[in-house]
Amino acid sequence: MRVRESGLGMTKILVDGVEVDVPPEFTLLQACESAGAEIPRFCYHERLSIAGNCRMCLIEVKVGGKSGPKPVASCAQQVRDLPPPRDNLLNELVTKSDTVKKARNGVMEFLLINHPLDCPICDQGGECDLQDQAVAYGRGGSRFDENKRAVEEKYMGPLIKTVMTRCIQCTRCVRFITEVAGSPQIGATGRGEDMEITTYLESAVTSELSANVIDLCPVGALTSKPYAFNARPWELTKTESVDVMDALGSNIRVDARGDAVLRVLPRVNEEINEEWISDKTRYAEDGLSRQRLDRPYIRENGKLRAASWDEALQAAARALSGDAKKIGAIAGDLACAESMKATLDLFRALGSPNLDCRPDGAAIGGGPRQGYLFNSTVAGIDEADAILLIGANPRVEAPVLNARLRKAWARGADVALIGEAAELTYPYAHLGATLASADLGKIADKLRAAQKPMIIVGIGALARADGAAVLRAVGEFATSANVVREGWNGFNVLHTAAARVGGLDLGFLPGAGGKSAREMLAGGLDTLLLLGVDEVALPKGGKVIYLGTHGDAGAHRADIILPAAAYTEKEATWVNTEGRVQYGHRAAFPKGDAKEDWTILRALSAVMGKTLPYDTLDQLRAKMIADHPTFGHVDYAPGAADAAGFNPAQLGAAGQISSEPLRTPIADFYLTNPIARASKTMAECSRLKAGAMKVAAE
Amino acid sequence: MNPSVDYVPLITLPVEWEWGLMKLGQVLGISILLLLSLAFLLLFDRKVWAAVQLRKGPNVVGAFGLLQSFADFFKFVFKEIVIPAGANKTVFLLAPLITFVLAFVSWAVVPWAPGVVIADLNVGILYLFAISSLGVYGIIMGGWASNSKYPFLGGLRSAAQMVSYEVSIGFIIITVLLLVGSLNLTTIVDNQAAGIWAWHGFRILDFTQFPSNILVGVIMLAMLVMFFVSALAETNRPPFDLPEAESELVAGYQVEYSSTPYLLFMIGEYLNIVLMCAMVNILFLGGWHLPWGSVESLGLDPFWTGVVAMLVFYVKIWIQFFMFAMVKAIVPRYRYDQLMRLGWKIFLPTSLAAVCAIAYYVTFMAPAAATSVAGG
Amino acid sequence: MSRLLQAAKGALMLDMIGGFTLGMKYFFRRKATINYPYERNPQSPRFRGEHALRRYPNGEERCIACKLCEAICPAQAITIEAEPRADGSRRTTRYDIDMVKCIYCGYCQEACPVDAIVEGPNLEFATETREELFYDKDKLLANGDRWERTIAKNLELDAPYR
Repeated sequence: MRVRESGLGMTKILVDGVEVDVPPEFTLLQACESAGAEIPRFCYHERLSIAGNCRMCLIEVKVGGKSGPKPVASCAQQVRDLPPPRDNLLNELVTKSDTVKKARNGVMEFLLINHPLDCPICDQGGECDLQDQAVAYGRGGSRFDENKRAVEEKYMGPLIKTVMTRCIQCTRCVRFITEVAGSPQIGATGRGEDMEITTYLESAVTSELSANVIDLCPVGALTSKPYAFNARPWELTKTESVDVMDALGSNIRVDARGDAVLRVLPRVNEEINEEWISDKTRYAEDGLSRQRLDRPYIRENGKLRAASWDEALQAAARALSGDAKKIGAIAGDLACAESMKATLDLFRALGSPNLDCRPDGAAIGGGPRQGYLFNSTVAGIDEADAILLIGANPRVEAPVLNARLRKAWARGADVALIGEAAELTYPYAHLGATLASADLGKIADKLRAAQKPMIIVGIGALARADGAAVLRAVGEFATSANVVREGWNGFNVLHTAAARVGGLDLGFLPGAGGKSAREMLAGGLDTLLLLGVDEVALPKGGKVIYLGTHGDAGAHRADIILPAAAYTEKEATWVNTEGRVQYGHRAAFPKGDAKEDWTILRALSAVMGKTLPYDTLDQLRAKMIADHPTFGHVDYAPGAADAAGFNPAQLGAAGQISSEPLRTPIADFYLTNPIARASKTMAECSRLKAGAMKVAAE
Repeated sequence: MNPSVDYVPLITLPVEWEWGLMKLGQVLGISILLLLSLAFLLLFDRKVWAAVQLRKGPNVVGAFGLLQSFADFFKFVFKEIVIPAGANKTVFLLAPLITFVLAFVSWAVVPWAPGVVIADLNVGILYLFAISSLGVYGIIMGGWASNSKYPFLGGLRSAAQMVSYEVSIGFIIITVLLLVGSLNLTTIVDNQAAGIWAWHGFRILDFTQFPSNILVGVIMLAMLVMFFVSALAETNRPPFDLPEAESELVAGYQVEYSSTPYLLFMIGEYLNIVLMCAMVNILFLGGWHLPWGSVESLGLDPFWTGVVAMLVFYVKIWIQFFMFAMVKAIVPRYRYDQLMRLGWKIFLPTSLAAVCAIAYYVTFMAPAAATSVAGG
Repeated sequence: MSRLLQAAKGALMLDMIGGFTLGMKYFFRRKATINYPYERNPQSPRFRGEHALRRYPNGEERCIACKLCEAICPAQAITIEAEPRADGSRRTTRYDIDMVKCIYCGYCQEACPVDAIVEGPNLEFATETREELFYDKDKLLANGDRWERTIAKNLELDAPYR
């Protein structure tokens, strides 16, 4: 909880006899927590509006040393709403008295009246708020002799499993879906005992953030459908890591049992994802155990055959030892910085300039860092008051970031969009489909007038033939609209690939006379090394070495397959769209014979006689930090550090901008990378989404 | 036998051959008797032990489990001989053989009845002492050749233990020798022919010698007890079974042994126990003589006298063995330092003092008869 | 003085004689041995023998894959994997007990909320190979069917004490 500055100054208050200073707009619950007192709650949540309907957070309020007639729901009252102190005695909040305990015991008993005693078959068992709090406030047995309420299950799509009899009507899910996700598909019908949480029409919840309601649900009413009955929380090894499904680098916790990653949960990071993650982040996990490359393969007579590591590395070494000008490497969307660094060093040693980390051909990189970063930072969105999206659809490119934009909109920020119109969960001014046709004058004024203006350029606008021109035009517009100013950099590039910023930071770009990804993919090279490139058309000619995790497009084309580790299976460095360096950690071991990516490249370099100068991950990282100092600043986003040096002339290139509409590069949110494409859950979501679109179109 | 019929031998043999065949027969006879007895002694041992622990003991093979030892024998013989990879094979296999053979060899001089002895050596007791001293080699070799930690520790312990107690056993035997004045075992037994008061262990009852019987009696009773205890230690029996202490060393020097080699160890060990029983008998408890007088005093013809003598000797061995078994059942195992303390600090000085005292007695106080025997 | 007394006691072997007397007393007592497969000692209803998975009288398996037994098992002998069954109910797809690891503490049956896993009265389940002691769900359910009458009786007898 962040303590906000308050113009009204602080209020003194006693909590259980301890004097604390709190801002007057704090709720009593927050005031108690700031004094270290623990308040049980079900409906209250820091990031949602206050409902005050579970009554679990009852406390006693003493004014002038006397407590009022009734206990007070601490979440629903603010400190400033308390009566003024009387008799020279500070107002006191009592959280531990017998009255409070008795009141909460009563509330708990009421909650349990209709809650089924089915913890043994409930997936929430072991991590259930109701279970935990019943230990503290529950009775030994029930006094309720009547029949319990039973509620029919509701359909909420392929991700959310419902057992509505367990629902205690806290309405957290309703509030989340309405307020944060912005797709009000869950609501409550009926009153009193008949109140039910429902999707009204028994339709799937279509929000990309829908599964967060599972975490929010304090009981087992909403649980994870793909994870249903799979495991208990105490069986799982929890590894804190970083998500790679989009470029946001959401902080996640990977729960694994043995060698199988069973679920992915969000981790709180106020700077990035608060405590939400997208459904893809959460549920692509089953793709980690399907379609995996678990041993090296070599193509012989047009057919892939399993090979030993020695054979495969020998073959790869042979393929790469030809003319250095005729070999090249492209880093895909899920390549970690370590693997790119190793590839970079290997190709430098071989003397090849043909390197590129932009298989989509986006016209970024090469210049100053702020030319390709999300300079306002994700947390900066909370302060922005005018936002212009250019060729970006944050809802599919970074759903969690979209929730922040929605929050900014809800706070009163103006949002405008240039590019393809899309449902973004909040209203915006659509200025046109292309940069050329858009009416930029009015929005320029608005941005200029705003305190914290933001321009967000999507990769869709840059990964085009005229991408460089678009980037230059946007940069010039940003300068003219005074979006980049002292202490605030409103020029933002919203990436879609977790690997991209890391690759650009490493300078994984064509060297002097080198070919770009687009040129390499057009053919003409003898050997092309792919670090998990699956989303682009691969050349027909030449040899292709595929270093990756899944039997996807790249592996199908490949002549030599080197099986690598997925993001949950290696220690890896990721740089998110803000330029924030984060470390991912290993939750499980690579499948079969697969190895961590950089170790494969290290072994390959040894076979080729160009041994890379590192034997351990630490040495590799030390070299990486020495060569590229930005990797030394972990969990730091530069933001507006270089705002003064912003110069549009360093961005892209001047040129003609085509009249083609700007659109997001993501055709299907659920199937953007090999892991997601291998996932059954994601396929199901995608199918459902396509169906829903069709229905909407009809 | 009818004296009128001329005795015509079927084959005539040189006298050396005849003697040789006779000795061979005796050896075979004694060996078979011993092995058969051993089978039942083993069962008896287990039964006594079980009874004290409120168990029934082996009772499945044969009536009352009488055939248990034979079943065990076959089991041992038919099992695989496992020789550890790191073991010294020759020594490993030699060790149980040595124990086994030495245990039998001792019995050559043990008289079962007047004249019933394979070799009536004049230095029989020395021979016994020498052979039983060699017994330690089997154990040490087994422990060393196994090339394993526990057997090695067991072997070391055993060596120290047996050497320690041999010293006091030697002194104890000397007291008896001083009283008898002969090293011949038959002579030693016959010296105790008069009755229970003449048995070396119970000389205290010989009130004709009062008051010197008190001195000799107390000393010799103590010597009897000490000899018995030393015999326990010498044979690695509980409470002195430290070389094979199963709770510490698993089975000591026997850890790596299986099948027939193990059986040989086992037989050798038990044979030594029986030998010790026989020695207690011979030295202290009147051998084949009856508590109220010598077997000869029954007035039977020489053949039946011999049979009764053997029977008495045999029964006394069983009684001794019962004591061994009871000790195993009721006394907890000694700690190694306690064992050493007992041997060196108590038994050795005590027995040394006893030797001096008996020597004093024999020289200055004994009646002429004793000295005359000594002179003879 | 006490040392002297101790020495005297030792010399006279009073402890030894006492021990011998006691030993002889036991020597002649009635023996506790029973002729095992033909005679048996009485068995408590709480006896913790071979495991069994029980069923409801209608044939539905009791186990609901709550994994509490797996969690409580101090020897980590139980392995459970679960999945929704075709009818959506929570069932195990795998319920293995490594009888070699098991220490027969009975925590699993104490933890079970539905009396599904129980330690039955059977103690004669020795096998010739180690593999036979890795019980799977089928084996455990078969045990349950085989011993159900005794198990139910035992649970009933023990019920007043829980």
